[in-house]
This record gives sequence, C-alpha cells and structure tokens, in this order.
Amino acid sequence: MVSDSIANASAANSAPNARDFAKKKRANRSAKLKQCKLDARREQWLSQVKNKGSGEDSRGESRQQSGGGHQSLENLETRRRRDDENGSVHQDSDSESPSVSPIGLTGVLSGNHSSGNCTGSSSSCSSGSSTGCFSGSTTEEEEGGDDGCLDDWEAVADALAADEEPQNPPFDPPPEGETVGGVQSRGEHGKKLVVPDNSRSECVKRPPRTASANNQAWRPDDAFRPQSLPNLSKQYSFPNTNRHYGGGAIPWGCSKAISVPSSCPICFEDLDKTDSSFLPCLCGFRLCLFCHKRILEEDGRCPGCRKPYEHECSEAEPSLLEGSLTFRLTRSHSMITRA
Amino acid sequence: MKSSGMIGSSSATPSSATAWASTTSVSSSGKRIQREMLELNLDPPPYCSAGPMGDNLYHWVSTIMGPPGTPYGGGIFFLDITFPSDYPFNPPKVTFKTRIYHCNVDSSGNLGLDILKDGWSPALTISKVLFAIRSIFTNPDSHNLLVPGIAHLYTVDRPKHDQLAAEWTLRFAK
Repeated sequence: MVSDSIANASAANSAPNARDFAKKKRANRSAKLKQCKLDARREQWLSQVKNKGSGEDSRGESRQQSGGGHQSLENLETRRRRDDENGSVHQDSDSESPSVSPIGLTGVLSGNHSSGNCTGSSSSCSSGSSTGCFSGSTTEEEEGGDDGCLDDWEAVADALAADEEPQNPPFDPPPEGETVGGVQSRGEHGKKLVVPDNSRSECVKRPPRTASANNQAWRPDDAFRPQSLPNLSKQYSFPNTNRHYGGGAIPWGCSKAISVPSSCPICFEDLDKTDSSFLPCLCGFRLCLFCHKRILEEDGRCPGCRKPYEHECSEAEPSLLEGSLTFRLTRSHSMITRA
Repeated sequence: MKSSGMIGSSSATPSSATAWASTTSVSSSGKRIQREMLELNLDPPPYCSAGPMGDNLYHWVSTIMGPPGTPYGGGIFFLDITFPSDYPFNPPKVTFKTRIYHCNVDSSGNLGLDILKDGWSPALTISKVLFAIRSIFTNPDSHNLLVPGIAHLYTVDRPKHDQLAAEWTLRFAK
C-alpha cells in the first residue's frame, strides 16, 4: 500500500517537482523548521478526519499536491533524507513505474516526502487514493484535489481561522496544535501551484491568498475551481455558485440584446424583460407595453405594418368564435362519419 | 389609526397616478423627439436639415433643398414642424414656410401628405417625413391634392407647370 501510494505520488509530482526547484527561493522557510511539528499535527488531524472516507482520500491528495509549494531548498534536503530512509520503497516504486524519468525520481522524492509527512496508515491511504487522479490529466487531478480541499480543508481551515491569522508569521509559537493545520493547508496550496503544468497563472494568483490567510480551500473566483464541484452544502454559500448562475444568465442577456431592440422604437424607453418577449403583431414589430396599450386605445394599428392588432380580433371574439365553432363542428362531424 | 392611514394612502394614490401619467406622456414624447434630434444630427438625411427652433423641443424648423433636375432644383424650402404633446402617437404638423408651386401644398403652406394624416404611424420619424416630402417634389401625390388647378396643369401641360414651378422657386426659394 505504501509503495503504491509512493509510486502514485511520484507520478503526480514528477512534473511539478522540476518547478519546485525554481520555486524554492521564495518558499517559506518556516516550513522546514516546523516540519516535525507539522507531521505530528497532521497525523493527529488525519486521525480526526479519518473516518470521513473518500473525503479523506481527496484530502490526502490535496495534501500531497500542496506539500512542496512552500517548501524551500532546505526542505528539499529534508526530502532527500527521507527518501534515503525510504530508499527501498522508492526502488519499488521506480520499478513499478518504468516511465519515471530522473525528474520523475525527484518527483518520487517529493512524493515520499509528503507521504512521510502524513505518517500513519491513513496518510498512506490518502496518497494511494490520489494515485488515480494524478495519473490522469492535469485538470482531472486538479479536480480531484479541489474536491478534497473543499471537502475537508475548508472545514478545518474555517475552524482554525481564528488561530491562523496571528500565526501567519513564519515562526509562530505553541498554538501549533491548531496552527499546524492552518499552516499546512497554506503550504499545500503553495505546492498545488507547483503541481499542475497549466496552473502557472494560478501560481501567480494564489500566494496573495495564502498570505492573507484566507481559509477557503477555493476562492470563489478561482478560475481552476471546477464548477461541477460537489456535494458541499458549504459551497452553495459561496459567491462562486452565484457566478455560475450569472454565467448562465449572460447568454440570456446576449440573446436579448441580439434578437430584440434594446429600446422601444416608439418612445425610446428601454425594453424590459416583459417588453422584449412581447410580440404583438405577426409582422414582428416590437414595442413596449405602454406604447402598445396607447395605440390600442387610439387606432389600434400596428406601427410596423399598419394592420389592426389582433387584439381587436380577440376582443371581437363572438364573430371569431362562430367561425371556429362551425369549423369544430364540421371536424367532429367528419370524425363521426369516419367512425 | 390604521383606517386613516389607509384612507390617506388611497387618496394619495390617484393623484400621484394622474401626475405620473401626465408627466410620462409629456416626457416620453420629449424623449422621443430628443432622440430623433440626436439621430438627425448624427446621420443627417441628404438635402435636408431639421432642428428645434430656439429651445422649444416641440417646435422645429426644417429645410429641404429642391432636388436637382426638377423645377424646384436649387431652391431651399423652409418648413415648420410642430410636434403634438402626444407625439409620436399623433403625427407632427408640417407646413411650408416658403411658397411653392406644388399641387400638394396650398397657398398657406399646408401639406397634403398621407403619412401626416391617416397614414401616420408612430414608427415614422421626422427624417422619414422629410424624405417623403422630398419625394413629392419629384412625384406629386395625386391622392392628396390640395391645389387641383396645379394638379390639372401638371397632367395636361407639364412643361408649363414646370416652368411656373421653376419661376416660383426662383422667386421665393432662392
């Protein structure tokens, strides 16, 4: 199981890892110093959320993704050390995935690192579950990761929100218990930036958020947040969902603008929704309801074709009714004869 | 207490409604006329011009240049346009201020034009009206004759008619 997870992790992290090196300069030094504490904290936290099942898996994945982002060069060294420790396991993973290149190897290292951080069976499980996502396309992987983030990180981050803010400075003291979770999540985000190939823009976007200690797993306006994302009652409180609906509304606005004049040709007032769906004459001449009513009061002819509006016909229903009545009669008659 | 409040509101409603109706009817025609003025300025029709006389939005002055190739060619004809307060549901009143020898324009400048009477449509605009007026320079409207004598001359002796029309144009419109 562990080896499996490692292999997966390596696959997932192989691409990003190269970028990791570049990122390291600006990475957070505190991460390394805190690593031990973080590990312990993480484990604790994991055990807490362990029983969440799939959610936990995705969480683990996200953790993996984000593990390296904030880690500095020193962290890399740490990783290597851990790699050495887990050497045999790495060999296994390598053999399992022959396609792993030198870069892939480093990826393995990072993967190991993350798994190492997530000590305990639950962590390994999570990394293993992340496998599939990672092997998939970048976007898929992201989606999975996002799911995870939303699922648990949100909750945790929210719970930790109060603690986290004061502790933003790199070397923050004791309250770690809770802090660790927050910091960790931040670090994860950082690494997540690194992971997907196409997430460069995201990389640019995200650091400010982490810096501001925003606890949401996803910013509502995050471009990479999958709209199809699940299942979270929390999610619906986000403006993001509103954006979703807004996006749906845009086509409507466009169609309105395209197919219907924006203002009444008679009074030049803007057509509202009712007006724009109002088609009083077969000739297609549109006008607002006020002008239509006004015209009906006077000569009742369509300004476009100068023919009387059919409303008059409907008002003069008796005569029409007769015709339709006879028509109906004949039809029924024919039916009867046929029968 | 409640009932008095209700009464107050109900009594206030009709007055406000009437006020609202009257203001909107005026302002809607004003908006429409302003819009037409804007469009005339942005995209003036050829050989025509129109605009408010002074600061009264409902009283315009317009000029139409006689189409070349007709006896009215070279003449500039001034028209007076008065918009009713319920414009565009009723047609504007258009009169010639410049004397013209034409079977559709009487001696006081009234214009016999279908679209300015029964043929009016709220969808018509002043620029379309001016276009129609200019078109009767070349093709008199035989259905709305205001001066039958001129119409008769037009059908019987067209050269004579054209000569007279050109003389009038030279006399009054240049």
